[in-house]
Amino acid sequence: MGIGVESLVKKYGGKTIVDNVGFHIADGELVSLLGPSGCGKTTTLRCIAGLETPEGGRIAIGDEVVFDAASGVTVEPYHRNIGMVFQSYAIWPHMTVFENVAFPLRVRGASQTEVERRVVRALDRVGLGAFRDRSSQQLSGGQQQRVAVARAIVHEPAVLLFDEPLSNLDARLRDQTRAEIRALQRELNIATIYVTHDQTEALSLSDRILVMRDGRIEQFGTPEEIYARPSDMFVAEVVGTANFFDIVVDDAGLGRDSGGTVFRTAFPGAAPGKARAMVRPDRLRIGADDGAGGPNRLRGTVRQRLFMGGYYEYVVETASARPRVLSAEAFAEGTPVVLSFNDENCIFLARD
Amino acid sequence: MNGVRSLASSERRRGPGWAVRAIFAATFLSAAFLILTPLLALLHGSFQTGSPGGASEFTLRNWRDLGSGNIVHTLFVTCYISVATSVLSTIGGAGLTWLVYRSDFRFKKSLVGAVGLSFFFPGFILAMAWVILASPGGIFNDLLGHVFGGDDPVFDIYSVSGIIWIQVLHIVPFAFFTLRGPMIAMDSSLEEAGYASGGNPWAVIRRVTLPLMIFPLLSSLLLCFVLSVEQFAIPAMVGIPGHVNTLATELYLLTSFSPPNTGLAAAVGLAMSAVTGLSIFAQRRVIARNTAPTVTGKGYRVRPLALGRWHWAANTICLAYVAMSFFIPTLALIYTSCIKFFVANPFDAAWTFRNYQQLWESPGTLRAFWNTLVVAGGGAVLGLTLGTLVAWFTHRLKPPGYRALDVLAALPFGIPGIVIGLGFLWSYVYLPIHGSLMVLVFCYVARFLPYATETVGAQVVQLDKALEEAAWASGANRLVSFRRIILPLLRPALQSGYFLLFIAYFREIAAAALIYTASTQVLSISIWAFFENANWGVASALSIVATIVTVALMAAVMRAPLKV
Ligand SMILES: Nc1ncnc2c1ncn2[C@@H]1O[C@H](COP(=O)(O)OP(=O)(O)OP(=O)(O)O)[C@@H](O)[C@H]1O
Ligand SMILES: [Mg+2]
Repeated sequence: MGIGVESLVKKYGGKTIVDNVGFHIADGELVSLLGPSGCGKTTTLRCIAGLETPEGGRIAIGDEVVFDAASGVTVEPYHRNIGMVFQSYAIWPHMTVFENVAFPLRVRGASQTEVERRVVRALDRVGLGAFRDRSSQQLSGGQQQRVAVARAIVHEPAVLLFDEPLSNLDARLRDQTRAEIRALQRELNIATIYVTHDQTEALSLSDRILVMRDGRIEQFGTPEEIYARPSDMFVAEVVGTANFFDIVVDDAGLGRDSGGTVFRTAFPGAAPGKARAMVRPDRLRIGADDGAGGPNRLRGTVRQRLFMGGYYEYVVETASARPRVLSAEAFAEGTPVVLSFNDENCIFLARD
Repeated sequence: MNGVRSLASSERRRGPGWAVRAIFAATFLSAAFLILTPLLALLHGSFQTGSPGGASEFTLRNWRDLGSGNIVHTLFVTCYISVATSVLSTIGGAGLTWLVYRSDFRFKKSLVGAVGLSFFFPGFILAMAWVILASPGGIFNDLLGHVFGGDDPVFDIYSVSGIIWIQVLHIVPFAFFTLRGPMIAMDSSLEEAGYASGGNPWAVIRRVTLPLMIFPLLSSLLLCFVLSVEQFAIPAMVGIPGHVNTLATELYLLTSFSPPNTGLAAAVGLAMSAVTGLSIFAQRRVIARNTAPTVTGKGYRVRPLALGRWHWAANTICLAYVAMSFFIPTLALIYTSCIKFFVANPFDAAWTFRNYQQLWESPGTLRAFWNTLVVAGGGAVLGLTLGTLVAWFTHRLKPPGYRALDVLAALPFGIPGIVIGLGFLWSYVYLPIHGSLMVLVFCYVARFLPYATETVGAQVVQLDKALEEAAWASGANRLVSFRRIILPLLRPALQSGYFLLFIAYFREIAAAALIYTASTQVLSISIWAFFENANWGVASALSIVATIVTVALMAAVMRAPLKV
């Protein structure tokens, strides 16, 4: 079961939009496609749904091959057992909420009692039980989104496909709905692909994240892995804020910046020579300058302090960079400080 | 769930690509057949000495004769009439648009309603009414003669200015409806900024509104010009008696009166199409260049400009226009239909219902009713189907070759009705449908194909593609999603498309004038024929009955819940 994609290639007018993408998603797993605008996330999703015909590769949904360029198999979208939530929701304006949600059952020839039972359950699941007879044109954005979700799950598809389902909602509603989608997906235990370019969404929702760049897979791993050990600077920036320090790595695997501070990482293997050390703002500890030396201790001066509510965000000037630091402790601007971090929160990346 | 799921997997098959390709091929071939056949036949005919179906040989004479004094003179007359008509109509339309969308004119709703009425008032009925009103023996001259004495008629509708007058009355609503959209879309905060900068209303109109509207105005000018060049009924009814010919009537005379010179007519027709085709091409370029900023989204209401003491002027002009273009002509027709012999003074008239009775008793008229029902009612279904397919392919599916289809379907915009009719005359003698109602149906479908594609296309473009994709993703195949999702969502466009086509087919004279036969006569032709035979009473009665029947039928169609 689940979803299998192998060496998928999709071109538009000679331009390769999806370039040899392959991954497997287990049953019940939620995978986010994360990447900047235009990197091919929607296109990949639409290939899986069958709304685009790829130029090459293989796609399997469940145990069934739905696309195989080599043997010429192309299963129409309506014969793939999928549920899809579109970015625009695509709620049919000429049908009531009930009829929208009932549609996947009706076209599959389900009996009236079956339709009734399943639609009511799907609507209850998304909290729209009371809206069944509403015209779909009298719904708020958030309600439309729920109808779209109910419509996607009502026939218990083998896979669920989401294309930025929260991007049209306001921030508060987005947080709430995100949690609901996660709960729903857990409960249904359906393999799910979730396209987003919002890192918070990807980090909080996913079992695994697939980071894309220019139509290729950049990294595929759990949120924790990708956050702590991005494979390169691009991924580091896609999944959160990153502080970079220009360093030179010596043969012993230790880095040194222009101010002479030694950087040590728990993840050896970086080639000697020029590199960059990456430490997340929340993994940097800020403290008063006590004069003590040692590795992973950066001297600097507080240049800017922003009060963020529960914490402060600082910009600190060090010999080689201006890292951002989050801390609950207050330091005035201009104060000399020391930034320190643990070996496992520091990773050496190639400069690109 | 298993029952539901297994259904999906049992019904596997390869893509429906071939079916779509087959439908596209059929659509393309139908459109090409309908539109290119008459054009090619005209081209062929323009090099022939004889008439369609008769003995004939190759000649260049027809093209040489295009340069003869008579044709060149007609060309000048046509251009003079058309330029005057388009300028005056655009000014009128722009004025009305401005009054409705920018001023505090009091009777906006009534005005828009009345303009809509005259928009659907057939040109040939308007022309007929104005002959009754303003011909030398007509009502106005008679009344004025009584008042001022003297025998010389004050108005002579059988003249160049008469043609221009009726055409302007007829075309102003068209200009109004083409200018309305751009005017509504125009960001009125630009004008308000003009007022805020100290501009008086006149300065703002001149320095802001007009420059911003320049492309829509140009486009309207060109479209009105084309409408005027291809206008047949009005110059035929008031021009021919006054010996004023336009290219359209010249072409008709060349074909219909012996000795016919159908070859020269074909050359004239092609030359006319070149003029109108180029104008349409220019109009498309103008539209494409329109870069005026428009309001997106809802925007706020414009603060209308106070007319103040100009209110009376505005009221008078609008009332006069509405009266001249619709109400007085209608009254004149009702009057004429109810009297025995035409007299201008109602107190001298012998009132009667004989004219209406005669309609009922004339088998030819009943036949014309039936034919019209078939051609307009049934033909519009055909035209709408083809138009919808074309719109769907050119705006949505875009298979290879869709651009060619797009150009093909837009061609009839540039071909005058009488010319398409002549093209069919030149070609149908070789086709098995010769002499049947199908000739008229095909001719109308071809002539008005752009009406259908534009109306439906505008809605197709608006339709979010995801609505259909969501249906596929929900498990509905192409046919089911078309029926359950697309068709209901297109319904408003399909209904108004049908309405437009019905009206257009119903009132068409130009395209039918050359190809109807005794057995395929339609109502518009019957009315015209009665009128030409000086049978004004019956012609008026038939106009009125036909209008009432049409309105009733259309109301029924528009009401009918098109349940699918
Ligand atoms: N129908 C099309 N024809 C040509 N190019 C297309 C088409 N659809 C998408 N593209 C191009 O493919 C690239 C990837 O598009 P895609 O919609 O997959 O991006 P995305 O990752 O979903 O971006 P976003 O986050 O903005 O939604 C873009 O550069 C886009 O311009
Ligand atoms: Mg996208």
